Amino acid sequence: MRQNAGTLNRTWLAILGILVLAAGTALLLQASGTLQEFLNTAPAWQSVITGDLHAFLAPQGVAAVVLIIGLIIGVLGLLWIIAQIPRRNSAGAYRLHDDGSQGFTLCDPSVLAAAVEKQINTLPGVVTSAALLRGSANAPDLTLKVTVNDRADVRDVIRRIQTTTLPELSSALEAPLQSCRLQIDVSGRTQSTGTVVHSTGTVVY
Amino acid sequence: MSRPGQRSTRLRHRPSRAIPALIAGTIILAAGVGLVWLSVTRLVSGSWPAVLQGPVDWLAGLAWNDPAVWQIGTAAIVAGVVLLLCAIIPGGFTALTIDSSGTGTRDAAPPAQEQETVMTRRAVAHLAKARCVQIDGVGSASATATTRRVHVNVTTSLHEPGDLRQRITDAVRARLEEAGLSPVPQVTATVRSRD
Repeated sequence: MRQNAGTLNRTWLAILGILVLAAGTALLLQASGTLQEFLNTAPAWQSVITGDLHAFLAPQGVAAVVLIIGLIIGVLGLLWIIAQIPRRNSAGAYRLHDDGSQGFTLCDPSVLAAAVEKQINTLPGVVTSAALLRGSANAPDLTLKVTVNDRADVRDVIRRIQTTTLPELSSALEAPLQSCRLQIDVSGRTQSTGTVVHSTGTVVY
Repeated sequence: MSRPGQRSTRLRHRPSRAIPALIAGTIILAAGVGLVWLSVTRLVSGSWPAVLQGPVDWLAGLAWNDPAVWQIGTAAIVAGVVLLLCAIIPGGFTALTIDSSGTGTRDAAPPAQEQETVMTRRAVAHLAKARCVQIDGVGSASATATTRRVHVNVTTSLHEPGDLRQRITDAVRARLEEAGLSPVPQVTATVRSRD
């Protein structure tokens, strides 16, 4: 249902991987003296830092540069962590009016989603459901997560959703569904609809 | 990063590599916080923190061919390879496809232009386990599922299981086929007698 940052993660993991791999390779080539033969770099026996490191770090400007670099790096890391939070990305209000010259008609997609969930929850074998509408009023995009009992007829549930629920939603919006994604989950719980009646064991003649 | 109301992504997708991303992001954030703390301390107090003294002295005396440089280089290569593998290796799909094309009425138009019906691997395993425990002779069962295989571990009180394994695999396969999974994963079973 929720969308995650798969493409973003793989892209940045690849970039970081290439950079770190290249840095490690260059370090080993330099340490072995091979890099000096090809690129005329410093000899392997020489110090990594030539010059006075303490004097280099003394000016206040260096601290300011380190601060800026630290802020940039920290913000990038934080943004990447925040991007891992799965997002619903549900649609904004559906605009059901034509051109608005005679008024606006707006519909909150969550209202439609709740109606879909309520109908699906009455189907035999369904334990619970969740619906999420994306897209627009003219091109609605529906994602459903339906949890069924482990003895339910899964194909029957799917058939009922496809022949009843989806056409009714499409009819309500007066637009065909752009896409419908259905995820079936299985639970050992039983359907929660209905009324529980307790028996007292009393027989009345 | 994502606009509200955009189209949905496929439910059956490859792993998002969230854990390597979280680890890398945390390391990057920690490095940034560390640099900020060092520089703020320098700007406020007029001198770098004392914790920096040791690393600076060590760095000043480090030569290119020191063992520490070899170790750092090797660690960087290993880390780079791991990161690249995390990015390149696709990983198994998170869900199995259900063929829902035959569930609608013949003359009716498809309910949506693009349809996708899936069942998670965990749901498939639950379905297999639930079918197993209904079979006569099965004491307890557990199941694991990938996109291609479902394996059930069964404990029975029978001293001679006989054809129990075959009955289990046939029953579970029939249940998965009945659920509409396409292709139906290969079902294997391990039966252990409880003595």
